[in-house]
Amino acid sequence: MRGSSLAVLVPAWNEEATVADVVSKIREVGPYDVIVINDASTDQTADRADAAGAKVLNLPVNLGAWGATQTGIRFALKKGYHQVITMDADGQHLSSAIPHLLAPIAAQKADVVIGSCTERGSHARKLAWRFFRGMTGLEIEDLTSGFRAYDLPAMKMLASKKATLLEYQDIGVLLLLMNSGLRIQELKVPMSLRLSGSSKIFSSWFKVAEYLLLTLILCTSHFMKSKPCSYVSTRGTL
Amino acid sequence: MKPLLSYQSTTAIIGLMIAVVILFLIRRDILHIKRSLWWIGIALLIVLMGFFPLQFAKFGVLLGVNYPPILILTVGMGFVLIKILSMDLERSRQERTLRRLTQKLAMLEGFQKESKAVEKIELRTKDEKLNDTNNH
Repeated sequence: MRGSSLAVLVPAWNEEATVADVVSKIREVGPYDVIVINDASTDQTADRADAAGAKVLNLPVNLGAWGATQTGIRFALKKGYHQVITMDADGQHLSSAIPHLLAPIAAQKADVVIGSCTERGSHARKLAWRFFRGMTGLEIEDLTSGFRAYDLPAMKMLASKKATLLEYQDIGVLLLLMNSGLRIQELKVPMSLRLSGSSKIFSSWFKVAEYLLLTLILCTSHFMKSKPCSYVSTRGTL
Repeated sequence: MKPLLSYQSTTAIIGLMIAVVILFLIRRDILHIKRSLWWIGIALLIVLMGFFPLQFAKFGVLLGVNYPPILILTVGMGFVLIKILSMDLERSRQERTLRRLTQKLAMLEGFQKESKAVEKIELRTKDEKLNDTNNH
């Protein structure tokens, strides 16, 4: 039986060093069901997550962070959860912020809450964010944060086929939510430094260039479609 | 040097060869029949161009192309681009299906694992009850 209507989703790819600690810390915060989506890791990620008390979904092939997250959302919907939190498996996101992310959803003030921490971004990243914000009309400061809370309508939207071909859990996902009329709220939260390894998405300059180019194309393709007035973005601080 | 074939024959042979290769690929089940329509169409067009070159040349002049054969190349290039785009569209559709299937597989394994765990607990409870009854 489920302990709550909330599931915490942790997509993980080769995160054996940190995943167990992340799962344990989430379970310390509340009786949340933790679902680790093992994105075809080649190390002990699945075993460590399982031993720490998480439910583990094993993807047979690597789908990337968003593909893994969507798997978790689809699973959570099938299991009857009404809210999900998504968190990185590298220990950057602090589980103590989970209740704060859930509060606006519980108060029915937002469908999506983004835990943001713009301090972690370099100057180049901040410049890129500003550029993409201008292009899309998104008034969100931290466009790439994977620390988010979604309610049921947002989960349904993100589990749909429309969201399957997205590459990253950032602008594409936010545009989809915004164009569906869902309310997005941003909440400043503290984040810690990555406990081990380096960014998987930005592992090389080539990957950064690829990311920027793909995001630019995505933003351009949505340029005429964006409806900045249909969503409410409010910011708060923890 | 005298050519072995006229250019009409060469073009017609190329068209026929493409058609034969397409039919062979379908026969060997390597090419999906849905994808064959386009290629058979192109092969037929090439054959027609071979047999009726003057008509195509006249058409080129009508469209203001001073050197008519270039029209064929331009149109051909356009068709190739359309075909490549349609291939990418199809690939994207397959990618979506494949991703969702992969996700479903992981989800089903998750459900299976859960029901096995529940079964295990039920069996253990049953065994404990049976032991209790025997002890009494």
